[in-house]
Amino acid sequence: MKVYDGDTNPAGDPDVKSDTQIKVGIAEYEVTANGATLTTSGLGSCLGVAVYDEAACVGGLIHVMLPSAEEMTDANRAKFADTGLAALIETLEREGASRERMVAKMAGGSDMLDFSRNGTSIGSRNVEQVEETLAEFDIPIVGRDIGGEHGRSVRFRAGSGDMEIKSASEDATTI
Amino acid sequence: MKVDIQSLGTFNSLAHEGAEQATAALCQMTGIDASVEVTKITLMDRADVGESLRGREFVGVQFGFEGELAGDTVLVFEDGCADSIVEALVPGGAGDEMAQSSVKEIGNIMMSGFIDGWADYLKTTIDHTPPTYIERRGHEVLPTGSEDGADQVFVFKSEIEWVGEELSFYIYMLPAQDSLVDVMTAHANTEDDAIPIDKLTVFNEMTTEGTRAAAEHVSMMTGVETEAEVSRISFAPIEDVSKQIDSRTYVGTVVEFDGTPSGYLMILFDEQSAYNIAEELMPTETDGEEFTAMHESAIEELGNVMTSGFIDGWANVLQTAVDHSPPEVVHDMGRAIMDPLAARVGMNQDHAFIIESTMRTDEIEFESEIHALPDEEELRAALDDLLVERADETEADIEQIFQT
Repeated sequence: MKVYDGDTNPAGDPDVKSDTQIKVGIAEYEVTANGATLTTSGLGSCLGVAVYDEAACVGGLIHVMLPSAEEMTDANRAKFADTGLAALIETLEREGASRERMVAKMAGGSDMLDFSRNGTSIGSRNVEQVEETLAEFDIPIVGRDIGGEHGRSVRFRAGSGDMEIKSASEDATTI
Repeated sequence: MKVDIQSLGTFNSLAHEGAEQATAALCQMTGIDASVEVTKITLMDRADVGESLRGREFVGVQFGFEGELAGDTVLVFEDGCADSIVEALVPGGAGDEMAQSSVKEIGNIMMSGFIDGWADYLKTTIDHTPPTYIERRGHEVLPTGSEDGADQVFVFKSEIEWVGEELSFYIYMLPAQDSLVDVMTAHANTEDDAIPIDKLTVFNEMTTEGTRAAAEHVSMMTGVETEAEVSRISFAPIEDVSKQIDSRTYVGTVVEFDGTPSGYLMILFDEQSAYNIAEELMPTETDGEEFTAMHESAIEELGNVMTSGFIDGWANVLQTAVDHSPPEVVHDMGRAIMDPLAARVGMNQDHAFIIESTMRTDEIEFESEIHALPDEEELRAALDDLLVERADETEADIEQIFQT
């Protein structure tokens, strides 16, 4: 995890800020304090969740793979919805965001290729876990594009809070 | 000789860390933004190493290394990458000689970090030779490696992406197999989850057989002579599994298979290949270049037959029944297709074995990738059930090696 705090843009030129693009890998999160665009791709059952404080201009995007870290020995918190969101929120606060002002948007959690014969799909469980964890932190979800049977790619403009979602078959949407 | 899952995991993260350090050194020196996309360990035919570099020009910086671990390593830049690095170091352009020495120097600093990381972990000294600068096409940019008799070799490969430039470079490490095996054995933590390497090798042959059977079905159905090309088994962290597929859109079929082992099998065609092969299957030519529902149903039929060929090939060798679900047709971003399957497997394991093969033909532009994602414990059980008759056998004979 890296925090992009404006070092790359010492002049503070607003035009430069919006050009900065940061890629978020699977089971990773990134935080920006200078309104950069955070992107992640290949979301199937995975979820891309953006949490941001517009007033403080601090935002982050996480690409979670599985719902809960319980019963797993993996040390990578960002892989799971519950521990990953907690880590993201901690980092946002460290960068000057206020939890009271934070809002969230999410995309992904598709039910494509769900071979589970019983129980809910991983995509749905990821969505449920994100909702639960964000509720615990008292952070409202203000936009979502979830479920269905297709993959998604996401561009989150931390400056405006816009989340642009693309898929292989459908037109791009912004939430 | 056995290799345990835990040390495969450790070695994989070691290679990844090394690549991260090398990349950080590059970024610091040039100011470019690059990140390590994926690191994996692959067991494959020596002749197929570097196959994914086919048809492109590269600049390489090669080193030999010696010590507790010995072998060769090479930093491979796509042609445009090397030019941009030189431009970052010497703005306004540099002469050929200066450009070469810049790239060589960058390579030297990057790879020293990479090798030192291994030496630190192994608590030993690893010496490396001065760098050699080369310009070659395809896999020829890689060192030929020491001829230590092994047909199948472990290769460490990291892919590093230059953010925003659509350029990539690679770090290959080709350890001398004897020395790698010694190091792995010395650093193995447990015997519980150990897999004998010779059986893993046989598994690759099985995949080749399965792919050959699938390719025969393609030839029979379409009249296009198709050949099985590369088979390999890789080991990577579960979060890197979907990165095995590139970021293009794919068409294909996915099944869940059940037996020892169970898991998922994907047969994927890039959109152009899917269109071309579907055209061969259809009785009449279609108007236009669009991929229609008819093309998709042709792909479904083909995927179905290929799956049966592949899975029957496995089942025959394993002398066991491997059932599979009806195929689901997919037409989506390749990585999104792999994602839910990796997540499902990732509920029980941190790392995964990925079995991959490709088939091709020269007659039309066509390539198909087969990816299998087996449950790790069940794969180990399947390998345990294989009986290697003679430990000194150099030519693996599937008929003899598998217990009936």
